[in-house]
Amino acid sequence: MRETWFLFRHFWKADVRAQHGVAGLVLFVVATVYAVYQVVRGRPEPETWNAMAWVILLFTAFNGVSRSLEEDRPEVLAYLRTTVQPLHYMLARTLHNVVVLSGLACLVVAFMGLLLGWADLDGARLWGFVSGMVLTAVALGTTLTLLALIAARAGAGFGMTAVLGLPLVLPTVLVSTTLGGELLRGVLVSDTWHNFAFLGALTLGSGVLGAVLFPYLWRAS
Amino acid sequence: MTASQHSTSRGVWAVRILGLLLLSYTFIMTFTVPLGPGIEDVRVTTQTVTEEGGVYELEIVGHSTHFSTSAPIVFLRRGEHTLNASAIKALDDTHLKCRVRLPKYIPSRSYDVIVNGKSDGTLSYANGFFAEGLDVKSKARLANDAMAFDQLEEKDLGFHFPFQPNIMESIRNLMLHVPMWFTMFLLMGISFAQSIRTLRLGGDDDRDLRAVAAVKVGLWFGVLGLLTGSLWARFTWGAWWVDDPQLNGAFVTVMVYAGYLVLRGSVQDAKLRSRLSAVYNLFGFCLLVVLLMVLPRFTESLHPGKGGNPAFSSYDLDSALRAAFYPAVLAWMILGTWMYSLALKTERLRAQIADARLTRSSMPLPLLLVTPASTSSLEAVFTASGKMPVVVGVAVIIVMGLGLWWVRAVRELRRLGREESELLNP
Repeated sequence: MRETWFLFRHFWKADVRAQHGVAGLVLFVVATVYAVYQVVRGRPEPETWNAMAWVILLFTAFNGVSRSLEEDRPEVLAYLRTTVQPLHYMLARTLHNVVVLSGLACLVVAFMGLLLGWADLDGARLWGFVSGMVLTAVALGTTLTLLALIAARAGAGFGMTAVLGLPLVLPTVLVSTTLGGELLRGVLVSDTWHNFAFLGALTLGSGVLGAVLFPYLWRAS
Repeated sequence: MTASQHSTSRGVWAVRILGLLLLSYTFIMTFTVPLGPGIEDVRVTTQTVTEEGGVYELEIVGHSTHFSTSAPIVFLRRGEHTLNASAIKALDDTHLKCRVRLPKYIPSRSYDVIVNGKSDGTLSYANGFFAEGLDVKSKARLANDAMAFDQLEEKDLGFHFPFQPNIMESIRNLMLHVPMWFTMFLLMGISFAQSIRTLRLGGDDDRDLRAVAAVKVGLWFGVLGLLTGSLWARFTWGAWWVDDPQLNGAFVTVMVYAGYLVLRGSVQDAKLRSRLSAVYNLFGFCLLVVLLMVLPRFTESLHPGKGGNPAFSSYDLDSALRAAFYPAVLAWMILGTWMYSLALKTERLRAQIADARLTRSSMPLPLLLVTPASTSSLEAVFTASGKMPVVVGVAVIIVMGLGLWWVRAVRELRRLGREESELLNP
């Protein structure tokens, strides 16, 4: 556990030090929402609002997980392979992605609200929507971390992550868009909690699968 | 010395021959067992509404019925209310005319139409008659002059498939379309097991070849399942593609396994490739189980047993269908594993040749193309004679698709065999 925490802090520091990484993602979110605002011009229908929010989150997630850290240099990886257990590395990496993506999810909602309005979300339903976004970010982060690592091992980049990942995250996307759509239609948070449970189950499932399978990717040859 | 020189044992050949026999049985059953009788349509030909009430002339269109010999009686029913039709006249075996007389005030506007006769038994058509121009009063009563129900004729027919409205003859697709998916599950399961063994061994070439051979054949069955399902959906649900959890799940599954092949194409090192693709394969199989077996149980689906069991429930399968369906599943599965063993042979030969040459050849997957045609003429062609052409279409797609696979596989094996012998004995 301490090893995981140490590695996580290490990734975090690397991110802060090499500012362009997270800054690039923030810029991506801001620019995409602004482009949507320019296209829609004004207040979109709730359905459009919902679709836009989730698609932006999805693309941000793909961008977020498939950027490489300063720590991914071959020399550093070779060193880590001899000193760190794969499970700990995997957990730290997932945690790092999950934290970054959760922050970005909040940013997406905030910026969408600022430019495109809240689409009738208020009070508990707004917080329900935000927590749905964050939970989805957690689910996406968990699933996509493993796929990004596969793509990195295959020596391919963003394109491969998208090819491998898009079909695999579709169940998550289906559940979250249903959740968002219901909240926007005025369904109470207490009546749509089963979608949160589905998201939690998907996260748990892919997390366990990733933790079991990652050690096989970790080996040098 | 090489894997390709393993001879196939007698037991395996026995199973294959059993598979071929079962496959012939499947096709014979699918195309020769008659469909039971049923009502295709009920039309109001003329209607006269006066102060007294309404008189409606109905024309009932049956499918594989025996109206001219069965001495049919016709009545309407809604809840407890029943009403006899008069002037029943059979035009031929599948067309029947009759007259219904209703009072001015009636308990409901729509009624189930029920026909009973010798040999056909009781046939019903839900909400087949709609009484236009009359007033509904909840207190109104019909004459309730229907015959005693114990006088109805029992069904007396030979071996037949059950008639279901709208599906009609296309119920035969059960033996063609559904086993495509069962075979795909089996092959992806084989691939899953081989991938687990690959990882246990820390990367292994031969297990990896088994996994990829199973995926390639399974993908073929998946694509055929999608194509045949699309054709069937067009003429039962009215669209080539509908938003249905089962369909979306099937499509995503096919995409996942296509992604698996893409991933393999991008890694050069065999050992690393075997491990990477095994990891992705395990992920993909778990998703297949979630998408095709878990999620459809929680959501509304057009597939039989919606919102519950995604497969056919016991209500839909009667003994005749069972007698045809279970052997069909076994037959297609045996064919699938046979194709798997051929594909494995091909993969092994290819790997050997590549090793001998230290270069890798890449073979593009042939594309299956369906040319779109104008919709209106299609409608007429495919809905004729109880949608039987849909079954023929599905069978043609499967036979052509699998035929293409076999021709390709045999040619490829021959070519690789020649190349191997040239390389080894120059």
